Amino acid sequence: MEIIAQLDKVSYLYPSSSDLVLKNISLEIRKGEFLGIIGPTGAGKTTLCLTLNGIVPQFYGGRFFGYATVAGLDTLSYPVSTFARYVGAVFEDPENQLLATSVENEIAFTLENLKVPREEIIARIPRVLAAVRLEGMEKKQPSELSGGQKQRLAIAAALAVQPALLILDEPTSQLDPVGSKEVFATIKELNRSLGITIVMVSHAAEEMAENADRIAILREGMIEKIGTPAEIYSQVEYLEQNALRPPQVAQTFALIARERISTGKIPVTLKEGLALLEPLKSYYRPSSLESTSYSSPTSPLISVKNLSHTYLSGTKALENVSLDIHSGEYLLIIGQNGAGKSTLVKHFLNLLSSTKGQVFIEGRPIENLSVSDLSRSIGYVAQNPDNQIFNITVEKEVSFALTNLGYPVKVVEERTSESLAAMGLLESRHLHPLSLSKGDRARVVIAAILAMEPKIIVFDEPTTGQDYQGAKAILEVTRQLHQMGKTIIVITHHLYLMPEYAQRVIIMGQGTILLDAPIRSAYHEIDLLSKTYLTPPQAVLISEDLAKLSGHRSDLLTPNEIASCFNYAIF
Amino acid sequence: MQSFNWQTVERDSFFTRLDFRTKLTIMIVITLIAFTWESPIAGGMLTFLVALSSLLVGVKVNYLATILKFMLPFQLILLIIMGFFNIEQVKHLTGKTELTTLLMIGNSKMSVEGTLYGLNIIFKTLTMVFIVPLVIFTTDLNKMIVSLTKARVPYKIVFIFSSTLRLFPLLAAESKGIIDAQRLRGLAIERMGWLKKARVYATIAVPLILNAMSKSQKLDLVLQSKAFSGDPNRTFLHESVLKFTDYLIMFCFVVLLLVVIVLYFWLGVGKFPWLIY
Repeated sequence: MEIIAQLDKVSYLYPSSSDLVLKNISLEIRKGEFLGIIGPTGAGKTTLCLTLNGIVPQFYGGRFFGYATVAGLDTLSYPVSTFARYVGAVFEDPENQLLATSVENEIAFTLENLKVPREEIIARIPRVLAAVRLEGMEKKQPSELSGGQKQRLAIAAALAVQPALLILDEPTSQLDPVGSKEVFATIKELNRSLGITIVMVSHAAEEMAENADRIAILREGMIEKIGTPAEIYSQVEYLEQNALRPPQVAQTFALIARERISTGKIPVTLKEGLALLEPLKSYYRPSSLESTSYSSPTSPLISVKNLSHTYLSGTKALENVSLDIHSGEYLLIIGQNGAGKSTLVKHFLNLLSSTKGQVFIEGRPIENLSVSDLSRSIGYVAQNPDNQIFNITVEKEVSFALTNLGYPVKVVEERTSESLAAMGLLESRHLHPLSLSKGDRARVVIAAILAMEPKIIVFDEPTTGQDYQGAKAILEVTRQLHQMGKTIIVITHHLYLMPEYAQRVIIMGQGTILLDAPIRSAYHEIDLLSKTYLTPPQAVLISEDLAKLSGHRSDLLTPNEIASCFNYAIF
Repeated sequence: MQSFNWQTVERDSFFTRLDFRTKLTIMIVITLIAFTWESPIAGGMLTFLVALSSLLVGVKVNYLATILKFMLPFQLILLIIMGFFNIEQVKHLTGKTELTTLLMIGNSKMSVEGTLYGLNIIFKTLTMVFIVPLVIFTTDLNKMIVSLTKARVPYKIVFIFSSTLRLFPLLAAESKGIIDAQRLRGLAIERMGWLKKARVYATIAVPLILNAMSKSQKLDLVLQSKAFSGDPNRTFLHESVLKFTDYLIMFCFVVLLLVVIVLYFWLGVGKFPWLIY
């Protein structure tokens, strides 16, 4: 098979670093293949991608060893602009890669730089927009597009150059499930119909297993394993040991196999997994798992009565929403972008005023309280912790709110130390918050909120942009806070992460509450979830299939729960 | 979600179809005329005409009202200073030895002539401020970029200008997010005085600058991958062609400027005492 890109014993050292980021990498990328790259944070995935368009080392400098060729051209011998003709690149954050003021200008930008004649640019724009299903949006501003549309626009812009190789670095990590699906479908279609070679870095194990031809595992700058998705993702134990998440279907079957039940092979796609269930049904003994109940004491902490909100633009974001949240609950709010999740939560914080209806916190109408008054009752952790950091030491950051609220110095010191200790940050108290890792920065913000001793803490998309390990670490903090008696509200698109934590789920769609139920039943409302463009975790879909096969419903949520229903010993 | 966007007029008019270079010429000529005229009557008429033109081409009344509201305190200060303290200049301009008293506070006199001169300066500033939305908001940003490049403005500068316009709404939204984050940490900004508020706004600079730096690093990377070199000989999707109407209007405005200058020096049209003294 023809080779489009080749790395031969490539090692690389960034100018400011003392450790090699890439170590002796040899890799052949075949023309027309879809190569997935996975690995923990800091493994060198982005650097590897940037090597393929010459940006490493030409833009960054540093020390580069070995040879890298793309389309037969040595990446050291030609300028980066030459590689822009052969290699398209799409990065993680759609906001940071769209430069122009209209969709058509975004597509034209690289072509203009490459001095492609105007007539040719005009001819290519509708073609690439059609390829990513954004026809008719030429004149729109990128800011008017949804997350998925923005990322598809970035792909269209890369595609306009007619590249032989398309590199995508975490293109779906900032997107909701709909956006993510749109991007994967588009990429696969481009790969299949136009034969464009794809190199994609992603943590989305289920989608990578479905779409990639080969998967390479990068760890500490080295390619540790490379093979088909079936070869890679079936090594569940190895992946887990290396902080990588296998698809849930593979995890489920690996756990069943550990019960000494022969599954034949470890499937990595849902389709394969469901096909393997039939022969296993005789081992299946569903146990009745109880829904994790949540307490309903007499008066709710937050009470929402017939709440509606219409933005100045005329967009109806909430319509007649009523809801009670009680002390000690762990609540999950889900729904596609624009469903009204953030708008609802902003009413809890008084950051938005209702068009109709009321919100009560501990029985008090929220309109009588200022945002700063409310901060004593309810804390808010934003998706990007960096936007909530504005002090020069971790300690000052944590004591910031207490000083604002006028507590005596002694109380400020005591509470600051307690919060720092609770978040494991005592040793970092004199460091600049921004010198810490992203996960620790999130902990600083949580510690700062914790110091105010709020009864409720809201986490808005806490796992977005995090790898599996980072996401789990933050969710463990939410568990810790919940165990401390706090009421936790989490907004997330990552449904597969939540069964171990959340008790109750609010499914939102088009500004209304579509369902308010315990997590066990909510996750099994497959039709309802699909109405709001959410896909339940694979374990839920396997459980549904098992229910059909066995005739017993047990609403299982996780691979562990499913595996626990398979028992070899009873035969 | 609310978002901040660059404002453009929705109405398609004769003015929106003009080339940006023609509009720039209009802006320069009007600004020079506003600078030249000292008469509050002439200046007032010019301000009125520019404001009316802005409204006719589709600039929103609210926008002009916001500008006026923002400028009001400065204008009042200007009027008071001119009324009370601009004595020698207005004596010279009117040829009077004694000024007409409008108001007396203690021993200080506010003169009619000084106040009228203050009005003239207010009209000058308003004309210059109102002409900007008339020119900018009626031009598609893409055409503005091509037009500026054709006017021999270096492409790198034009690119920085257009990127700023693109990034400005993002930074504005980020600033609001940071202020909200501080309010959520007990900062009662609504109960603060102006000075304290200013100090709070200063603190948002740290995360904002750090975010902007991180954004610019990512932008650098994106630009590299998109073959950006700042070469002015790149091609352009949009065209900027000066039509006959553009040339005609540019010619008319240059002639207008010459006529204004001749009439100013020959007949005193637009001088401070014109139609008053």
